[in-house]
Amino acid sequence: MSLKNKLNRLKPHLSIGVPSGEKQEATQVKVSSDFINQEIPFMEVWEKENVRPYFFDNDYCLVREVVYPLTYKHGNYRFEDAAKAVKLWNEKGVHHPLSTAGHSPGDMFFFDTETTGLGGGAGNTIFLLGHARLGVDSVTLKQHILPHPGAEVALYQSFLETIDYSTLVTYNGKAFDWPQVKTRHTLVRNHVPKLPSFGHFDLYHASRRMWKHKIERMKLSFVEKDILGFERKDDIPGFLAPMIYFDFLERKNPEGLLGVIKHNELDILSLISLYTHLSYQLLGEDKNRSVREAFEVGRWFSYLGNGEKAEETYASIAKGNEVDAINAKHALAFEHKRGQNFTEAICLWEETSEAGSLKVRIEACIELAKFHEHKSKNWQAALHYSQKAIAELEPLDSENKRDRWMKELHQRVNRLVSKMERKK
Amino acid sequence: MKLRRDLQDIIQELKLDDSIKENIIHWQTIDEKPAKNFDMPEEIHPLLKQSMEKRGISQLYTHQRTAYETASKGRSFVAVTPTASGKTLCYNLPVLQGIVEDETSRALYLFPTKALAQDQKSEINEFIQEAGLNINSFTYDGDTPANIRQKVRKAGHIVITNPDMLHSAILPHHTKWVSLFENLKYVVIDELHIYRGVFGSHVANVIRRLRRLCQYYGSDPVFICTSATIANPLELAEHLTEKKMVLVDNNGAPTGRKHFLFYNPPIINKPLNIRRSATLETRWIAGEFLKNKIQTIVFARSRVRVEILLTYLQELVKHKLGPKAIRGYRGGYLPTERREIEKGLRNGDIYGVVSTNALELGVDIGQLQVCIMNGYPGTIASAWQQAGRAGRRRGESVVIMVASSSPLDQYIIQNPDYFFNRSPETARINPDNLIILIDHLKCAAYELPFTKGDRFGNIEVEEILEYLTEERVLHHNKDKWYWMNDAFPAHNISLRSASQENVVIIDQSDVAKVRVIGEMDTFSALTLLHDEAIYLHQGVQYQVEKLDWEEKKAFVREVAVDYFTDANLAVQLNVLEEDRLRNREQVEIGYGDVSVRAMATIFKKIKFDTHENIGSGPIHLPEVELHTSSSWISLDKEFASLSKDRFEQGLIGMAQALKHIVPLFVMCDPQDVHVVPQVKASHNEKSTIFFYDRYPGGVGLSEKVYQGMEVILKETLQMVENCRCQSGCPSCIGSDTSAETAKADVINMINLFLLQAK
Repeated sequence: MSLKNKLNRLKPHLSIGVPSGEKQEATQVKVSSDFINQEIPFMEVWEKENVRPYFFDNDYCLVREVVYPLTYKHGNYRFEDAAKAVKLWNEKGVHHPLSTAGHSPGDMFFFDTETTGLGGGAGNTIFLLGHARLGVDSVTLKQHILPHPGAEVALYQSFLETIDYSTLVTYNGKAFDWPQVKTRHTLVRNHVPKLPSFGHFDLYHASRRMWKHKIERMKLSFVEKDILGFERKDDIPGFLAPMIYFDFLERKNPEGLLGVIKHNELDILSLISLYTHLSYQLLGEDKNRSVREAFEVGRWFSYLGNGEKAEETYASIAKGNEVDAINAKHALAFEHKRGQNFTEAICLWEETSEAGSLKVRIEACIELAKFHEHKSKNWQAALHYSQKAIAELEPLDSENKRDRWMKELHQRVNRLVSKMERKK
Repeated sequence: MKLRRDLQDIIQELKLDDSIKENIIHWQTIDEKPAKNFDMPEEIHPLLKQSMEKRGISQLYTHQRTAYETASKGRSFVAVTPTASGKTLCYNLPVLQGIVEDETSRALYLFPTKALAQDQKSEINEFIQEAGLNINSFTYDGDTPANIRQKVRKAGHIVITNPDMLHSAILPHHTKWVSLFENLKYVVIDELHIYRGVFGSHVANVIRRLRRLCQYYGSDPVFICTSATIANPLELAEHLTEKKMVLVDNNGAPTGRKHFLFYNPPIINKPLNIRRSATLETRWIAGEFLKNKIQTIVFARSRVRVEILLTYLQELVKHKLGPKAIRGYRGGYLPTERREIEKGLRNGDIYGVVSTNALELGVDIGQLQVCIMNGYPGTIASAWQQAGRAGRRRGESVVIMVASSSPLDQYIIQNPDYFFNRSPETARINPDNLIILIDHLKCAAYELPFTKGDRFGNIEVEEILEYLTEERVLHHNKDKWYWMNDAFPAHNISLRSASQENVVIIDQSDVAKVRVIGEMDTFSALTLLHDEAIYLHQGVQYQVEKLDWEEKKAFVREVAVDYFTDANLAVQLNVLEEDRLRNREQVEIGYGDVSVRAMATIFKKIKFDTHENIGSGPIHLPEVELHTSSSWISLDKEFASLSKDRFEQGLIGMAQALKHIVPLFVMCDPQDVHVVPQVKASHNEKSTIFFYDRYPGGVGLSEKVYQGMEVILKETLQMVENCRCQSGCPSCIGSDTSAETAKADVINMINLFLLQAK
């Protein structure tokens, strides 16, 4: 019997079901020594890392599988918190693009790749496809590794066989990982199953929305450190991955590549914690949510047209006189205006027209002037706020935004003056 | 008061007026030709027929019919078509009919520039719209917005692009273009003759990559090429596409009677053989026509000349025609502007257009009555394309070529037979140039792995693949070679630049707006961009303030001086391998690989007009080595009658003269082939003149020189003999020598070479 058939026959016995323990360490998957293959170089090293071969179509790829207990803590969160987040989305019924309402935790597919180059293009090979999934009592992480460039059929076969989830969770996967998977899949498309279609949560864009104000470069490792409370030790920087892989192809010794595999593993684990954290932020479950973060959440809801949720979020932080609170009040006022609650809006703007940043003060004055001109017909007040804004802008250097405001304000003043004269 | 004169009157005047007559060196009248028509093939879709009828096309010209039939039989062809002969129908008809018959089929159009692609898109879309067909045609270039790119990839029946885009954006991303590659039925290559030299050699490899991908996806497209008149369209098309081609040259489009005049400005300084400026002459000739409201197009070789002519002509006719009656037409035009000019010409609001050669490339602005060329455009093919702008299908037209004092202009104008009857221009490419080939092999490996036994186009590549494996660019596993590098190879390869490492030319005239105005290969930079060199860019003078050789940057500033610089290049030439040799009695003509070691030594400042040497300075630049192909001609016997000095001067003069003539045979810029004399060549110890390709590895130019050596010598002799100077001038043998005997010596020496070579 060929080794391949043997493996296929034994496959059901190889599936892993390790009960979760109280230990914080990842549980190592046992690989039976029967599967040491002479043809696979350094198999004994691979074996120690829970890697076993997957045979298909006269070739093989390598598959690493690690199981973590749900209680495992990665950064500030345990994996079970992610399951909790899904539960919360289902309970609260808040509409949001990151909502997993209608899904169970197991539907999410945390996914990341490693490639031989940057950017798209037919020649950029994916040599590692990694993903993790929440189970009932554990998180299963699988990594499909390309042992040499000819083995892509086996790689994609093994990858596509294992996925039956409905929602992809990635970090910049919309622009990079998934299109590249499509590209490479096209090259072997006649030999392997079709790519399934997925929903897609790209946490890169979500993170940018939330923390652009405090993190300069939205690299996952910075988000981990600044937001998730997780710091990597001895991590191999992603840009070295291609070199390490080329070296591996020549020497076959997995030594260096194991570092890349570890890096990929951490990336995926961080995706779980990041999703958890983002969900908690959005759902207001994070006690430590900063005022600024809450403000960004409010802005996001507002952008999505969910005024109610935006208002609620702004209101929660619109207390006190810190900059963020003022900003929240200002934004809240706009929400009130949108909801035709002018009394509340005017109240808030009267406050922010005094206490906010220049931009906020001017915008507030303009909004107040608009209100008094068109709604309350108190032209004197409208004139007052217009002139107040002009007085603030007058001494500033000419610049696009300032000039636009000035033009608008002068027009309003002229209009108001002529209205008042006609009235006389 | 004389009334307005018409074209006939002016033709008569040109014929009779003595002061003009004597400057007209040649007057060729090309008789009118009636149309040769064929019926529309029956199977053409009724909607297509209707759409053509709306444009007044109810029959096809002979060449259009042949083109259609050849394509429908699935055979590739190259159509040689003069301007305004309905060339676009040669490809649009089979392509559109093909898509009507099979909705899934796709076509790829390649134009050498973005502007031409845009122009064609508008034309074909109008045609499709009129026909009411559901066919999508798109341009795909750097300007295509991201949101419609996907639509182009998936649903574009006709994708119109340029070779650069194909090379760097389409082929490396072929997985996004599956539906195009799977169903590619036609590839159209317009303006084939542009694909020559380095550019053509690159494009030939891009086409190898394209065909390799087509094969992978299971298609085998028919290639349709169109070319201006050159000596070897079929050879070029077959070389470029590596496909068997049919030549379609039975042009059936009608033409009106055309007068083709060669005008040589009068000599104003006899001993130095200096003629009156061609631009001044062009001005008054064009003025004569425009004053009489005769629609005229003027071609100038640089943007600056266009400006000068435009200003002058607009001034001249300001009161008669109104300011907008004469328009400039420079590169970087917008389709709307072009439409406006086209419309103005049609309804008579616009009388004159002054243009750079942007128009010669197939952009159709309608037909005018008169075409005036300010100087020979560089190739005979270009000259005919420009001439084609004048001449409606009925009625007479006039084309006047005003020669400048450059040797090539003078040669052309004095050899009308050459121009009209024996166009020797051969477009050469060398797709197997190792440097170019390896570049594209890398791209090809990036696109798809190579399997043992695979060929790349016509050539075996296993050795190169092994080399690239050693260089750690490819990875060899079992019987395949895979791209294993983190680079994106197409990004580092430009199809148009001459060599891999270029000197960037930076204009710092305006400190606030420092800008890159061009680049140049390192070898040419030695003599053209050294410190203090005067560098001419599109007619504007710049002085090089600093050449940073390490960083490969030349900083220049705009100046206005009355001299140019000429650098001496000390060249050591070694023949590495002799591939071919023709031995005559005492002459040998050879071709092979050479190594050129060149070092710039000093430069001279030379005054315009008088060519006086008004200063000089040293150049401190390292030696540069170039491996390339070269042909050469050597002479056994030394001239007994000449002193060593005169012989050496003669050899230099002869090389100068040959340099002028070479571009006539091989379509290239004068600086693409270097001509170097050596009194005693190191490989055979004979007096030798070398002709080497400036591009490393050679792109076939010197090989063509090897084949045509005798003809080149003969024509050079004629040029020197016919030159009106007394003892040699910059227009023939150069001004390096002041010896009275120089010209006679050169003539004798060429004769001797010729005698022996026969």
